[in-house]
Amino acid sequence: MEFLFGQMLGFASAFADLVVDPWTYVYLISSVFLGIVFGALPGLTATLAVTILTGFFGNKIPLDYALIALLGAYVGAIYGGSYPSILLNIPGTAASAATAMDGHPLAKQGRGAEALGLTTTASFIGTLVGTVALLIFVWVLLLISKNIASPEKALLALFGILLSGTLMSEDLAIKGWIAGLVGLALAMVGMDPILSEARYTFGWSYLLSGIAVVPVLMGAFAVPQIIDGLRHMEVGKMIELTGRILPNFASIRRYLPTIGRSGVIGTGVGALPGVGEDVAGWVSYGVGKAVSAEGDKFGKGSLEGLLCSETANNACIGGALIPLLVLGIPGSPPAAALMGAFKINNVIPGPTIDPAIILRVVAIMVLASFTMFVMGLFTARVFIKILRVPQTVFLPLIMVLTTIGSFSVGGGLNDLYLMLGVGAVAYLMNLLKYPIAPLVIGVILGGMFDETFRRTLLLSDGDLLAFVSRPGAAILVTLNVALILGQMPIAKRALTRMKGRTV
Amino acid sequence: MDRFEKEEALALAQLRARDFWSALVLIAVALFFLWKTSGLSLGVHSGAGVSSAGWYTSAAVVPFGIFGALLALALVLLTISIRAGGAAQAMSALGLGWNPQEARRIGAIGLILLSYIVGLVPRVDFILGSALLITALICGFHSRAGRGALVPVLALVLAGGFALLTYPNQTEWARSGDDWVTLLLLIALTFWHQRTGGRDRAVRLTPVLALGLPLLLICAMAFGFRQNVPNRGGLIFSKIEYTYYVHLRPLWRS
Repeated sequence: MEFLFGQMLGFASAFADLVVDPWTYVYLISSVFLGIVFGALPGLTATLAVTILTGFFGNKIPLDYALIALLGAYVGAIYGGSYPSILLNIPGTAASAATAMDGHPLAKQGRGAEALGLTTTASFIGTLVGTVALLIFVWVLLLISKNIASPEKALLALFGILLSGTLMSEDLAIKGWIAGLVGLALAMVGMDPILSEARYTFGWSYLLSGIAVVPVLMGAFAVPQIIDGLRHMEVGKMIELTGRILPNFASIRRYLPTIGRSGVIGTGVGALPGVGEDVAGWVSYGVGKAVSAEGDKFGKGSLEGLLCSETANNACIGGALIPLLVLGIPGSPPAAALMGAFKINNVIPGPTIDPAIILRVVAIMVLASFTMFVMGLFTARVFIKILRVPQTVFLPLIMVLTTIGSFSVGGGLNDLYLMLGVGAVAYLMNLLKYPIAPLVIGVILGGMFDETFRRTLLLSDGDLLAFVSRPGAAILVTLNVALILGQMPIAKRALTRMKGRTV
Repeated sequence: MDRFEKEEALALAQLRARDFWSALVLIAVALFFLWKTSGLSLGVHSGAGVSSAGWYTSAAVVPFGIFGALLALALVLLTISIRAGGAAQAMSALGLGWNPQEARRIGAIGLILLSYIVGLVPRVDFILGSALLITALICGFHSRAGRGALVPVLALVLAGGFALLTYPNQTEWARSGDDWVTLLLLIALTFWHQRTGGRDRAVRLTPVLALGLPLLLICAMAFGFRQNVPNRGGLIFSKIEYTYYVHLRPLWRS
């Protein structure tokens, strides 16, 4: 009880600091607005919104304000994806793909305004659920993570890369692992963290300081999207809204258990390293369909189905921040961009993070969700108008934003060349169905993995048993091995046989 | 097998054929970097009869593991691809996934981005270079979508190529010859775009967007956030910077 009281007091203080600062509103309103616009425009994603703002604000304003801008855009973009899902049947972001399943049929029945009102409310509640979980669990995990030493850190980084590779791969899991290894390989470039020996610099002095995170983020997330999006697309006929966009409190009350369950699922999925809001939305939708009495109505315009996906994808944000803040492992692709912002500000998320930063993040999340809620209810028609802007007009502007954002982070022209190179590779990887998120997570965690893995060996005089001699490390080794073995055909066949027997 | 299943099977066959090529590339990359890693000190260092370090101190330990794992996974991918018939179809049009229209589209975007980043951004005024990029991309991929993007690509390649070939060295990047060429090409492309692009609102707004956004961004970066911006000596930006520091800033500084 005392713990909770202390937490609430810390949060209240951080919230009050935020509320009385007029600059908060400047950054918050503009970033939430921009986030919703990015989410609403098909072809632009939440990851892109946070990535571009990282390049733009990451190291140009104090971290306190940069966090407002980045988290505001993150919350706004995940919510914004529901507009085209409902009105056009085109998900604005991958996170809102499940929203289209019931949102669009509802709009076709003339209940578009009701659907938008509900998604706004569900997104708001979902964000708050994730934020509350962040406030509570981050501290519990931080206490546990004080016992984490080099072997556990190395194995956690490996687990994050492997898990994100497994879950984010559309095709074979090994493609996700390969992407993660490519990211790790990129992180090996430059001076090694223990002996300061130059690796793979090919005589280019720029590479001595290693591969910069922001150009990699821009190259991996923005450039392929620009290349892929510059094609003629017939935007479907937008369904006209009738009536006002208002929260339907009767429906909210009726589906409160669904909202609660979806919030918990979203937070849990978000907490898995590298797994994003899209997975959260689909998992929650799948669970909802399986357990709901109205499961047969899912996909035909069910309010419950809509609430399942929308609550979960926004709750995922808070969940994704838990591993980021506690362990320094991004919980989702946009969280990887946030990690980039921390890195360029020389803040190292993990057990040693300043607690004030966590409380500020929580306070920003609460304020951002309020802003999103108010904007969603009162300025929805502005976003609906923006939906009509074709991506072939918007993406050239994004290219210029990406260029200047990447240039001004510090590396200048070299960063731009790196961004273009990574962009070309990422585009090819997309084409060949290799996921990009594990690559970025590999780049971000590569330095930590290298340093902690070698430090463990150094302290144990090269004894590999150091990786299993501590209970935490042994558990992580087991998880890593299980993750790899679980993808082997023999294991998959055995699992299928076992499932067959139980059914 | 219905149509959907057939399409799915075809897409999978194409993916496995592509996997064959990507596995070969990955094997080559892994082998190359394993060879490069072998050039790093392996940590077993002896000097004056004293062995000072073990293998585990070497900066090559983790890279060896990474590239070794990459090689192993690439071999697994190659095996999966061969078993699924990927090798047999690798040289066919299906395996290569060759689509001339898509190749032209990607080639055009690639040339435009390369000319912009390598040729224009370092050498030409950022506002002019970016305005040309925005105009070319909207012109080529919005208003003329499906009708070819030859003219916009040529405009970008000409501007970027001229800047790159005329002023290859960094000491010459502040000169304005390439700025004028880019300006002329921008004006020409804008006129052509307005004449041939139809009556779309996006076409009419292109010049405003093309000049407005880079102008806003570079001013925000340079004077708002006080950050480094590309090519400070550019034709337009140098005048803005001069006016800002000599005429405007003293007004509120004094």
